[in-house]
Amino acid sequence: MNWGYFASPATFYRLAGWMAPWWFVIAVVLGIAGLYVGFVVAPTDAQQGEVYRVIFIHVPAAWMSMFIYFVMACYGGVSLTFNTRMAAMMARALAPTGAMFTFVALWTGSFWGRPTWGTYWVWDARITSELVLLFLYIGFIALANAFEDPRRGDRASALLALIGLVNLPIIYFSVHWWNTLHQGSTVKLTGTSMHVAMLWGMLLMAFSFWAYAIGAALVRARAIILERERRTQWVRELAAT
Amino acid sequence: MDHTFYLAMSYAATAIAMAAEIIALRLRRARALAAVEEERDLETQD
Repeated sequence: MNWGYFASPATFYRLAGWMAPWWFVIAVVLGIAGLYVGFVVAPTDAQQGEVYRVIFIHVPAAWMSMFIYFVMACYGGVSLTFNTRMAAMMARALAPTGAMFTFVALWTGSFWGRPTWGTYWVWDARITSELVLLFLYIGFIALANAFEDPRRGDRASALLALIGLVNLPIIYFSVHWWNTLHQGSTVKLTGTSMHVAMLWGMLLMAFSFWAYAIGAALVRARAIILERERRTQWVRELAAT
Repeated sequence: MDHTFYLAMSYAATAIAMAAEIIALRLRRARALAAVEEERDLETQD
């Protein structure tokens, strides 16, 4: 397969325009299914009562915050190594969605923490490293837009994204490395102690957020392509139609 | 114990954050298209 074909902004623009609505449809369908399982099928938690249902957005949002950062850094690495425009644009397109999910993870964690821990915030290793992730996203966005020449912004922000990768294992293993108020991982590759309906509700919501993130990144990438390629012939022809 | 407030604040904030992002995406696309139009008009004038 000729991957260079998809790296062309003109090809990517058309392909993303066709795919983005489908990703949003998948996100809505999975979101409705996830909320149904989470609120109707999943039983009430024996210890926490109904408030545990925050898990159906908190955990998927936290997963997405880390996963999007990883993908964004990979795009940054590809853009630095091969000097590909589309990879840099995709890294930029992912950052605001990643920041949004990081904010959602922190916010929902805070509103889950108040009734269960007795506080909205604690400088716990897991929560603090997740806050650092939010600052990394904000730093990436600010740095990418700080230069007159967007290619310089691409290189600087890609470097920051790669350096920031070190924070991901810190977030993930923080609950093992330090004595934290935040609980350890409930879902592991080796299995889970959760009720099966709770697990399915969480997984459905995670896939819904994943589909939403792809749809949003594709739409944003199209806008970035228009901004950057507005002087090219194909974009002018596109605007004329 | 009633935890409706905490659940509502969590789900409402998530919905608002996603809705705000979608509105921001639409605005950005509209601005980008307007910039392309502007560029094209300037070239036509030249």
